Amino acid sequence: MSAYLDTRVSLFSSRLWQDEDFRALIESGHDELNGILAERGLPQLAAGLDTLDSRSLEQRIISQLLDETTVLIRPLTGSERNFLLYWTERFEIGNLKTLLRGKMTGERPAVLLNRLTPMGTFGHLDIQELVHAEDVSELLRRLESSHYADIVRPARRAFEESHDPFILDAALDRAYFEGLEHRARPLEDGGGKLLRHLMGALIDRLNLVWLLRYRFNYNLPPAQVYFLLVASHYSLPSSQLKKLATLASQEEVLAALPESLRKLLAGTNDIPEVFLRMERSAADRASKALHSGAPAIVRAFAYLTLRERDLRSVRAVLRGRLLGLPKADIRLAMLHACEGSA
Amino acid sequence: MFRAEPLVKIRLHMLSSEVADAALELARFGIYSPAQHQPEILRENPALAYREAWLEAEARTVKLVERCGDPADLSIPEDAEAPTLLDLEELNSWLKEVWVTCMATYEGEVRIADEIRHLDALQDTLGKLEHINVDLAHLLRPDGLLAVNIGSLPATSVKRVGEALSMTGYIIHNFDTIGDQVYAVIAGPRERHSEVRGLLSQAGWRELPVPEELRTHPKTAHAWLIEERKRVEQQNLAECAALETLRGKYRSGLDEARLRVELGRPLAEAAIVGVRGQGALASLSGWVPRRRAGELKEKLEQRFHGNYWLDVEEADKQEAATIPSLVRYPAWLMPFVPLVKSYGIPRYGEFDPTLPFAFTYLLLFGAMFGDVGHGAVLALLSILFYRRLGKAAWIGIAAGVMSMLFGVLYGSVFGFENMIEPVWISPLHDPIKVLSIAVAFGVGFVTLTLLANARNRLVAGHSAEALFDSGGLAGLLFYIGATGSIASVAGATTISSPFWFMALAGICIVAIYKWLETGAGLGERALVTVIETLETGINLFSNTLSFMRVGAFSLNHVALALAVFTLASGLGTAGHWFAIVLGNVVIIVLEGGIVAIQALRLMYYEGFSRFFSGDGNEFIPLKLMGIK
Repeated sequence: MSAYLDTRVSLFSSRLWQDEDFRALIESGHDELNGILAERGLPQLAAGLDTLDSRSLEQRIISQLLDETTVLIRPLTGSERNFLLYWTERFEIGNLKTLLRGKMTGERPAVLLNRLTPMGTFGHLDIQELVHAEDVSELLRRLESSHYADIVRPARRAFEESHDPFILDAALDRAYFEGLEHRARPLEDGGGKLLRHLMGALIDRLNLVWLLRYRFNYNLPPAQVYFLLVASHYSLPSSQLKKLATLASQEEVLAALPESLRKLLAGTNDIPEVFLRMERSAADRASKALHSGAPAIVRAFAYLTLRERDLRSVRAVLRGRLLGLPKADIRLAMLHACEGSA
Repeated sequence: MFRAEPLVKIRLHMLSSEVADAALELARFGIYSPAQHQPEILRENPALAYREAWLEAEARTVKLVERCGDPADLSIPEDAEAPTLLDLEELNSWLKEVWVTCMATYEGEVRIADEIRHLDALQDTLGKLEHINVDLAHLLRPDGLLAVNIGSLPATSVKRVGEALSMTGYIIHNFDTIGDQVYAVIAGPRERHSEVRGLLSQAGWRELPVPEELRTHPKTAHAWLIEERKRVEQQNLAECAALETLRGKYRSGLDEARLRVELGRPLAEAAIVGVRGQGALASLSGWVPRRRAGELKEKLEQRFHGNYWLDVEEADKQEAATIPSLVRYPAWLMPFVPLVKSYGIPRYGEFDPTLPFAFTYLLLFGAMFGDVGHGAVLALLSILFYRRLGKAAWIGIAAGVMSMLFGVLYGSVFGFENMIEPVWISPLHDPIKVLSIAVAFGVGFVTLTLLANARNRLVAGHSAEALFDSGGLAGLLFYIGATGSIASVAGATTISSPFWFMALAGICIVAIYKWLETGAGLGERALVTVIETLETGINLFSNTLSFMRVGAFSLNHVALALAVFTLASGLGTAGHWFAIVLGNVVIIVLEGGIVAIQALRLMYYEGFSRFFSGDGNEFIPLKLMGIK
């Protein structure tokens, strides 16, 4: 089984984009675009590119990722399979947030349906039933008896008390990533040291960016900020996060980080910059894991994170081209493309 | 019965304003399946907005009937008309209003349930605080330096909340857990309470307001709680009465809504694939059986008096993959249809194997499980559980009868081989003959499947495949020749040369066909030809030998019975009969189940896989579902 997955991941890894591929995508003429995308294993994106809106583009990217995940999970069982399946649930959590926002703004069911990403066999939600919920309360009640009950239940209590959409989003995100960390733990304990590194890069990045954002952009009190972060056992464990949340400025927080993170983030001025540096570092780690002799599940996870990063950059380039932006702006947009995933 | 009914494609053009009624008429006609035909000149789908409004109305009606309605059966009047888009929009507005009213009552019920839980928690809290000698009035004083909150939060958040609270000098103490909620006291410096408020809200903290009465003497507090409980119960009764009133008030309106939703269903469902339009013109397209096309025209004429245009066109063979299959079966054959459909739906024009399946399946089952007693038990059990099993009971009855018939032929009753004389053959005494008959049956079966496949290929317009491929007549020529040759070597027949010639000619034709069909380089072509030609021979004979299991299972049946008798013979009288009864039960359950699966397996893999593509589309007619 592991040999099958290893071979699959190695074959897939040749699809990852290099800098020169992105350069070609930005510089190419309109007629060459389809050829470049098809050559890099993205014929789905190439079809009808001229008439594609950003929503459809996003949907096709997710569909591509789900297709590749389907192939990768085929030989997996038990906690390894659960882990990769749970990783795809992020997209459905995205649908769930779209549904909630749509109900808050009284969106029509048909409009909402168009906004949702088709999850195919990975879907757990009865979308038709949910889009026809009358309001957020009914939607949350229905979600409480869905596959996402554990994630939604605390979010619902929090939302009922405050009716603040921010609280709902933050509660959903935290609950999801705690679930991911929980599912990764048995795999890390089973000798997946590299998986621990990958998960650490992901959870530390989320926690640090959320901490800075909640504390200094939204001015939330330290205790609330700490509560909103993911309970972690990586470079920024809970005890460290508790200390960081009480600090008075961004500079103090960055100065109080562990040595490795402090070096990585030296000279950063704003939160997007912090995110970008950590994201790039995470991509480097994933790339190393992919080309190492790590267990197949770790390589598969590394591939999926890198592939998603690539596809988001491709999306940024295509959107930039569709909007007729100058090439320099497209390059800049590409650099920030992965921010949406935090 | 052996193939799908010939269909014609129809396009019904009319004014957009009448399209809902036209769809309703087609649903009443009962045998129209919506589909989109190519080329499609009309670009728009005028029924999309209708479908959207209908889905909303349907969802609301279902929810309302579930919460506040009275789901009695309703009949649809013959002359009822389909709702227009405007009707549906009005209905939606009304349903929304009703929903708001009903939800208020529903929320009231939820609130009361919540209040009851709250009172229980208060009582519990009071009981616990009584023992620790705390002056509640003093503790909960709003002007004290210490801020104290009593409330509940999800159990999963407790640890994290405790850690976060410790950052502000607060502590949390849990005193009870009910379900997934933990009841706790939170205390800390009042001047930092503002920092805690957001955290508690985020954590889903629900304050348990302690009324003044509870801050006094315990006896007064108990009396207050009893009074409160009475008040809430009265409120509950009032809410129930309100719900009943609502049911009465909205009953007729909701019945009307259910009727309208049902009448709107045909167009809403057809909108997915079968409705196109432009401007004021709309068109419904789909399939109807050729024999009913005239009747449909008459019905449309009666209803629309010439204000429509109906195009009727013959189905094109090239479209066979997309044309739905409509097969009519006699009632007695219906129980077997799901077994065939679980493999696949016959493609339009393809040979439908349900009838031969039914006979062959029963024959194979009977041959493998031939016993008068066991068959009778099976038939009796199927009759006994007729209601629970539904149509499937008929398969059980037929299989039981067939088993009894073979039991008579084999001379076997509950495993006793000497109770009646075998009319035909005793598997125990002539096993070679039984196995030979099974293989001979397999030869006949495979021959029929090859003929069926050749016929299907011809109908689908693939005459070269039908004539020269391994699954066609050339394959059959080889199979008959090779089987005959083997039979002559075994001494079963004296004819030899013609069979060898047939086999050689058959395999050569198959090889030449494979060579011509393979579009690749010389080496690959040669490799494919050799491998596929070899595969032809191997497959045909492995499929045939597979039928030996029919004989093997009939022997197995006797062997199992023998084992039971051997065990029973070593026991006393009571033990003897107990072992025989128990052994027979085991044989019926275990072997009966295995034989049922094996017979199905033979049909699917040695039969269907040879000639039945099963990739057809089911003819799903537009219908009025009835209102329940």
